[in-house]
Amino acid sequence: MNIELKKFGTVLTSRQAGKEASSAFAPTVNEIGDDQDILVDFDGVTTFSPSWGDEFLRPLHEKFGNRLVLKVTDNLSVKLSLEILEESNGIVFRKN
Amino acid sequence: MDDEYISIGKAAKILGVTPTTLRAWDKKGKLAAIRTPGGSRRFSIKKIRIFLGDSLYNQATEWLDAPNGTLPPSDFYCPNTAVFQSRIEDLERDLRQNPALDASFSLIVAATSEIGNNSFDHNIGNWPDIRGICFGYDAAKGQIVLADKGQGILKTLKRVKPSLNTDAEALKTAFTEILSGRAPEERGNGLKFVRKVAPIANMDIFFQTGNATVEISKENMRLDIRETPEYISGCFAYITFKN
Repeated sequence: MNIELKKFGTVLTSRQAGKEASSAFAPTVNEIGDDQDILVDFDGVTTFSPSWGDEFLRPLHEKFGNRLVLKVTDNLSVKLSLEILEESNGIVFRKN
Repeated sequence: MDDEYISIGKAAKILGVTPTTLRAWDKKGKLAAIRTPGGSRRFSIKKIRIFLGDSLYNQATEWLDAPNGTLPPSDFYCPNTAVFQSRIEDLERDLRQNPALDASFSLIVAATSEIGNNSFDHNIGNWPDIRGICFGYDAAKGQIVLADKGQGILKTLKRVKPSLNTDAEALKTAFTEILSGRAPEERGNGLKFVRKVAPIANMDIFFQTGNATVEISKENMRLDIRETPEYISGCFAYITFKN
């Protein structure tokens, strides 16, 4: 399953917005089959912050572990936010 | 924060002149410096900002000093996260018009957003004075200011780290320590992100909470936390960046 983050907006920065996105998307996430990978695509996101990522990506990682795959871009805010999330939560995201 | 002084090199950088020019200005009294016991010049940050006509800095600090119940200047007032988000998107749009910021605009926007959203996340429902934050920027001058009259970092961080006793300890924790215990309040790692990205995006950041201040820059990666007699109840951040 592909999740295109740009469908939530291009400036993904606040904890509150991340939480809202996570809640709104929960029914879709619950339909994901046991054998499916979840590809999160950052294409089109222009600014990304650790707070938004913490609310949206951390629950996905807790639920799916390495079945969660991040398709990252060369946007610096994406790259460095993911680094902080990995350091803070003691996890390593699978990326392609 | 008005008692902060900086070296001639840093003052020259901020003002865009050479140290030789600054020495001449000091002699003429155009921008007077004080001397350290060793004889080196030190320039007042407040005087430099007044010299630059930095209305952003002045308007935000005047609001912090204003009596309770005073609203920030209307152009700067973000009473809720929806207004702040909208202005963050304005900031991004304006920074993206400058090709020199092609690589760094997203870090400047993300860091600004983390600082501002921290104010909302940690004070929602508990604002001691005015609800919301003061947020202004000048994309052409490379300046951003954020201020809140909230509870300050010490009070909010003490909930997850009760051993904290001073604003300086709280400020150091906020910028350096990864806090694993999120309950009873959500505490992210936004200020650690800010510290990480500041040198990459060529940002200089002055941050104050309570009576503790810190300056972060590419040249000063060690966290030099100081105490100032100029107490503020919430948080204040002044960001400058090359553009």
